[in-house]
Amino acid sequence: MPSTRALKTRIRSVKSTKQITKAMQLVAASKMRKAQEAEKASLPYTQVASELLTYLASQGETDRHPLYKQPEKISARLLIVVATDKGLAGAYDANVLKLYAKQLLDDDAAGIKNNTISIGRRANRFVTRIKDVKVVAVYQDLPDDPSGAQLRAVVDSAIQQFEAGAVQAVDIIYTQFISSVNQQAVVQRLLPAGFEKTEVSQTVRTAEFEPSAEEVLEAVTYRLIEAQVYHALLTARASEYIMRMLAMKNATDNANDLIDDLTLAMNKARQGAITQELAEISGGVEALK
Amino acid sequence: MVLYGTWSTEREEGLIVKFQLVTLSGMKLDDDVYEVVLPTAAGEIAVFPGHEPVVGIAVPGAIAVRHEKGDANSKLDYFAITGGVIEINPLGLKVLVDEADSGEDIVEAETKAALDRAIKLRDSAKDQVELEKAHQLVDRHAVRLKVAELHRRHRR
Repeated sequence: MPSTRALKTRIRSVKSTKQITKAMQLVAASKMRKAQEAEKASLPYTQVASELLTYLASQGETDRHPLYKQPEKISARLLIVVATDKGLAGAYDANVLKLYAKQLLDDDAAGIKNNTISIGRRANRFVTRIKDVKVVAVYQDLPDDPSGAQLRAVVDSAIQQFEAGAVQAVDIIYTQFISSVNQQAVVQRLLPAGFEKTEVSQTVRTAEFEPSAEEVLEAVTYRLIEAQVYHALLTARASEYIMRMLAMKNATDNANDLIDDLTLAMNKARQGAITQELAEISGGVEALK
Repeated sequence: MVLYGTWSTEREEGLIVKFQLVTLSGMKLDDDVYEVVLPTAAGEIAVFPGHEPVVGIAVPGAIAVRHEKGDANSKLDYFAITGGVIEINPLGLKVLVDEADSGEDIVEAETKAALDRAIKLRDSAKDQVELEKAHQLVDRHAVRLKVAELHRRHRR
């Protein structure tokens, strides 16, 4: 049986670990709420862009634009994969990277080459180790609320690859926040561009397009892709935080259990030592008689 | 146009514009205003109530907002934008931009330093990609600096 001193040291160390996991749990909870709010705040942006695109599509503009052109055959595909920077979020990274690996295998079987943009340190470490995948860019330490410049960097390289014909499709792999108990790794197509059709107001129908419908389409399409990437990054962050919150809650609970067990063991050891000492004393007294 | 009756609003009489500045991080401004000046490829345009429906493109620059008809220039609100899409209709106006920084929020000294850094980056750019990125940075910070200056000059 370990000494009471050794047990005391272990209890102290588990207690300080518990303090850290508890703090991380609380921080993750509040950050998750912020990420969710930010995601909701970007909705009007997507709505305005979708309305304009729906109208322009009805005018046949999107059929002519290269970003909307459906390829006859996909021979290369760009994957944007979003994972965490530091892990500590349960199965989050494993789920995303498993889906990414599956995409790679499927593409390999279909004879499609892959390029990758990875976001988050965990993803970077994973993709750079894989053979036959060209890594176009890696990003890490993106803030919870990515700025326009940071988004543009990702979107620009995706559009560049697509327009230059290096790839015929661009997909983003991220974790969708469905509810607080359900987060799923998903694949979403960014290019060729797609959007959900919405109602078009009368004013848009009668509006004049300056300088031309084509140029407006170009600008709106860019903004929509940007909004899709922004949404993916934010919902991925919200998922990351809720999964971290749960992981840290489990860790805190485990630490509590461990502290209980160790305290019990320590009390037993202490009691054992006292009993032994008493036995020795009474044994000594007997011997003196 | 309704001239009499308590239910007639200013908007029906065409005296105000509903201005929505929509950014990725949310509605930056959603307010009834009198006049909005926008930077477009064809130069600055001022939008007043009753404007013809137009959908156009905004270029990097400053948006100026006059809230009330009688407001002096010193009361204008400025926003720095990096380009976007404009949707004007007779009742109002929506501007879709990635980012809009209010003149109040921009710290002039910081922006000036950022602009200097961007200019250095531009001068030392090794290839076309770097140069293009640096140009964008220079434009962005130049616009922000201009907005901060406008804000300071008019609020003194």
